[in-house]
Amino acid sequence: MSRRVLTIGLAIGLTPPLTHAFELADGRLHIHGFASQTVVHSSANRYFGNSPSTSFDFTELGLNASYQIDPRLLLGGQVLSRRAGEMYDGTPSLDYALIDFTPIADAERRAGLRIGRIKNPIGLYNETRDVPFTRPGIFLPQAIYFDKIRNLLLSYDGLMFYGDLFKDNGNLSLALGAGRSVIDENVEWILFGTDFDGDLKAEGPNWTIGSLWYATPAETFKIGLSALMTEMSFDAGPASPVAPGSIDISDWVLSVQYNAERWTLSSEYARTPTRWKDFGPFFPFEKQTAESYYLQGAYRLRPNLEIMTRYEEGFADRTDRSGRNSSDLTGGLVPPFDFFTKIWTLGLRWDINPHTMLRLEYQRHDGTYALSIRENPDPNSLVREWDVFAASISFRF
Amino acid sequence: MGRSLKALTLLILSLVSPSGSTQVFLIAHESAEIASLTRNEARLFFTMRLKNWPNGTLTKVYVLNDNHELHRRFANEILGLYPYQLRRVWDRQLFSGTGQIPITVTNEQEMLDRLQSTPGAVGYLSHKIEHSALRVIEVQ
Repeated sequence: MSRRVLTIGLAIGLTPPLTHAFELADGRLHIHGFASQTVVHSSANRYFGNSPSTSFDFTELGLNASYQIDPRLLLGGQVLSRRAGEMYDGTPSLDYALIDFTPIADAERRAGLRIGRIKNPIGLYNETRDVPFTRPGIFLPQAIYFDKIRNLLLSYDGLMFYGDLFKDNGNLSLALGAGRSVIDENVEWILFGTDFDGDLKAEGPNWTIGSLWYATPAETFKIGLSALMTEMSFDAGPASPVAPGSIDISDWVLSVQYNAERWTLSSEYARTPTRWKDFGPFFPFEKQTAESYYLQGAYRLRPNLEIMTRYEEGFADRTDRSGRNSSDLTGGLVPPFDFFTKIWTLGLRWDINPHTMLRLEYQRHDGTYALSIRENPDPNSLVREWDVFAASISFRF
Repeated sequence: MGRSLKALTLLILSLVSPSGSTQVFLIAHESAEIASLTRNEARLFFTMRLKNWPNGTLTKVYVLNDNHELHRRFANEILGLYPYQLRRVWDRQLFSGTGQIPITVTNEQEMLDRLQSTPGAVGYLSHKIEHSALRVIEVQ
């Protein structure tokens, strides 16, 4: 409680003198940051904390710096603190830290290389998913940008090549990267449904990612395909009921967006084939392809006042949309509705000034697949149909 | 009937639209050594994807707040973009470490001060200022 008050107080206190971002070293060093507090209430199920009795456990803080050494060389890094229910406790983490080298850049083309911890350019929102100002609502479409396994999708340590072509009839952008994924306990929870004794880890470079985008010159219309492939191995501890095995995951997302003066229409479709190998007889799953999509419309009543609505669906196994087979595989322990999610969202965004944003959001959920198992460990207490009310205030400089 | 409707429409338009006399010019420091830009080039500079002028000078981009009338006019008329689109591109670069964003100034006077005192600077003004350090850049 006192920590929350402190956070908000700090954010409000800091805002007036920091209405300008810091620019130092002859304008080459930029420092920016943000702070956001969300309150979540749900009719049932734990969503970003103990939401049935109203949760304040969703706090996001970020601070970044970038230094343009010369036109070809840029250094950048960001530290994030994120408290999100039982999923993240607010411990500061290195979000990205990279060197960006752009040897080729003119009015027709650009090509370069990034080295370090790099954000995954998956879909429309993943690269800046923890920055409230860049999200389409308080919550990202959960069917595609699962907050429960955010860290797996967040960033990787490695290299990325990128290239752009700027033409009169549009821009083409390609990014290709490889490296090592960042794995935490939440990844174990989602891939196993529990925290088994042992560690999930990456053996050597286990992460490849690519994205290709086309946009019309003024970005009125854009379309992109992004995909990643990864393999993780599980070192089973002595108390683990499952054998040491490995997990292969691919994820690909098709994204389209239309931007007009007042309208922004967005839609994404994703498939995530997952294969669990050599986990022994006590682990029920072998192969599944998750599938999800959403349709989202935002309408700006005024440039600083926006309403948004979205419908999304996600299925743990695209061949078992009712969840019955998956539920049977767990011996009925986990209810069928824990293998799908269907969400209606209605949101309001008000940018009070360029540094302050207020949001209100309502969600109607059918199914519990979007929920963190870590926050809701007992499948018997899950409720299939539930509502979420949320409000947030965010500051930036 | 049709004619009076048209007249009424024109009247309403003239009341709700800001005075048509306000103009906007892309202004650069003389060290940029350019006279004109294509609209695509102007977009690349203002989205911070092009970081230096043809002569190699580092570009320093200045803008007014997103909700400033002159910023809206500049984005719409010179770049052919809406302010929210610029903000979205800037934020993606800023919060993923893949680029920097323009420096925001509070008003047109500060814009003028920064433009004339900063080598490589580019921004916009509502008047064609006569100043030895500044050039009005034609955008085709």
